[in-house]
Amino acid sequence: MSTSTVTIGLLSFAHTHAETYAALLRDRGDVELVTCDPGPHAAGELRGAEAAAAWGVEHVGSVEELLARGLDAVVVASENARHRELVELALDAGCHVLCEKPLATSRDDAAAMRTAVERSGKFLMVAYPVRFSSAFGQLRDQVAQGRLGQLLSVRGANNGKLPTSRSWFTDPALAGGGALVDHVVHLADLLDVLTGGAQALTVSAVGNSLLHPGAAAETAGLVAITYPGGLVATFDCSWSEPESAPSWGGLSLTAAGTGGTVAVDVFGSKVRGLVSSSGLPVELAYGPDLDEAMLDTFLGAVRSGSAPQPDLEVGARTLSVVLAAQESYRTGRTVAVRPV
Amino acid sequence: MGRLERVQNTPLRIGLVGAGGIAGCHLPHLARLGAEVVVFSEAGAEELVARHGTGRVVGSLEELLAAVDVVDVITPTPTHTAVVTRALEAGKDVICEKPMARTADDAAALADLAERLGRRLYPAHVVRYFPEYAALHAAVHRGDLGELAVLRFTRSGAYPTRTPWFADVEASGGIVLDQMVHDIDIATWLAGPVVSVSAVSTHSAPGAGDGGEPAAAAHVLLTHAGGAVSQVNGFWGPAHLQFTTSFSVTGTAGSLEHSSAAERAVVTDLGAGPSDDDGAGALVPDTDPLDDPYFLELRELVAALRDGSTPRITAREGAEAVRVANAALEAARTGTTIRLIDRGARA
Repeated sequence: MSTSTVTIGLLSFAHTHAETYAALLRDRGDVELVTCDPGPHAAGELRGAEAAAAWGVEHVGSVEELLARGLDAVVVASENARHRELVELALDAGCHVLCEKPLATSRDDAAAMRTAVERSGKFLMVAYPVRFSSAFGQLRDQVAQGRLGQLLSVRGANNGKLPTSRSWFTDPALAGGGALVDHVVHLADLLDVLTGGAQALTVSAVGNSLLHPGAAAETAGLVAITYPGGLVATFDCSWSEPESAPSWGGLSLTAAGTGGTVAVDVFGSKVRGLVSSSGLPVELAYGPDLDEAMLDTFLGAVRSGSAPQPDLEVGARTLSVVLAAQESYRTGRTVAVRPV
Repeated sequence: MGRLERVQNTPLRIGLVGAGGIAGCHLPHLARLGAEVVVFSEAGAEELVARHGTGRVVGSLEELLAAVDVVDVITPTPTHTAVVTRALEAGKDVICEKPMARTADDAAALADLAERLGRRLYPAHVVRYFPEYAALHAAVHRGDLGELAVLRFTRSGAYPTRTPWFADVEASGGIVLDQMVHDIDIATWLAGPVVSVSAVSTHSAPGAGDGGEPAAAAHVLLTHAGGAVSQVNGFWGPAHLQFTTSFSVTGTAGSLEHSSAAERAVVTDLGAGPSDDDGAGALVPDTDPLDDPYFLELRELVAALRDGSTPRITAREGAEAVRVANAALEAARTGTTIRLIDRGARA
């Protein structure tokens, strides 16, 4: 049973992770992959049948054609605002779903997706790869074992470059916002693990677009969050890594409690050096592929049929933090989180 | 004869008021600067003077004020206003440990009083003298980073348990006013006036730690007038916690970051030994004795008092740090975002 082939559809190449998923799923002996990247496609971006050919994966012309294959599961990697439509189609076609983060860009969309999960009896997993990191796993275990005592504070930074390979990332209508939606969800997911799924209580957010004045949404954001039980957290979700930086950015987290502190730098392991001619730094990042670890969990769940984590409810709780952060940034007030 | 000429031609006489935990970072440096130091404290003055082999103890603040030109106030925060006021009214220039006062109104009143009396008042914001922060400020001032956009500061160390007033938020302002006021001041120094403040804070439940050790944490978000945003994180934890700081500052032309834990000149792994008992739980960070920021600070402030030069910190800036820190306390307490009116507009 565990070696049987599962059939997986990859819906949309809008997200840059689609290429990673395509390559990982293509190279597995236990997966039969078919893809579909419905248009319209932004000019100048490698999309659709052309992309599939470049990646060496099968591509079909329509979502209906893909779903008519009777697949076991579907990976949705569309623009954030288009998750709902594809997720509903996939679930209603009897497929389990791995949905790129964030789950959705609105409360209504998330609620509709919850209904679709309940109606279909299939599961939805949200693509939060960082929680699969061993470094974060050590922190999770130390918190669970009580080594930190009463957990009081978490500060996280998830910084990256302004996303430029896909134009929709900086289009608030399709992305659901800017840096606040793109990176807050990752850190909110890690807090979700550490708190055992606690719903955040309040969020304050500040931001600006000083680093990228032409951007349509905020490119820098700082948030402060309260959780039940006296835990306070703060995130830096800014696209503050310059385009010229030697690596894409990173994600670090420091947890502090009455027992002490634990600092985790998830993508921090690098071989470092210099280019003699320019004096510019070289960083060779190394470490396990977290997308691969996440897909392992997803494919295992597709085989067993038992719903994996992080599930739709994690996606809903983390979305509630993002929506509160956006409201706080917009209004300049501290906002009580309304559960999604 | 003018007052400055007089003090230049005679040894500077400095009155140190207080003999608590930070006294060891003041008394020896004042002595090294050639000052005659007179010490008054409700407790610990004799021990302090004996420990450092310098200084003369007197029995009252009046006696101290009668014997000195300059007063260095290192008493607990809730007493700053009364002691500084008396020193200014006695015609002394004053150096005062941070925070300058417990409340924004008190701090502003001290700055006003100094101005009215023509006396100088310098709050001891020593982090401006730590070489990594001085280097950061110089780079920002030169324009190396362009326009600042995002700033992060962290400060983490052992919970101060030796004297109860530190942890008493009413008395000291707790972690926000005692510890995080340093980075609030640095953020303002670098990115300019703060227009809004939000904050979250927490404290351990009684008996939550091993042996009931307390811990406290707070996160403060600042929006500066120019649009830059700052995040200031503070943590007081168990006694074994090393004192660590970090910053990360990004502007339109570049970024600078520092971590005290990463930039250690000496890394030892010697097993348990007789020299191991002093490091953990320190109330002040490790510093290079050849580049001691407390010495650099007192040298600059004393020089300013002697020759009229301008030091890198003013009473107004000290008062502003207290105002922003108190806004953070209010933001955390009420769960709201606090908007600060312009200092100029208020006057």
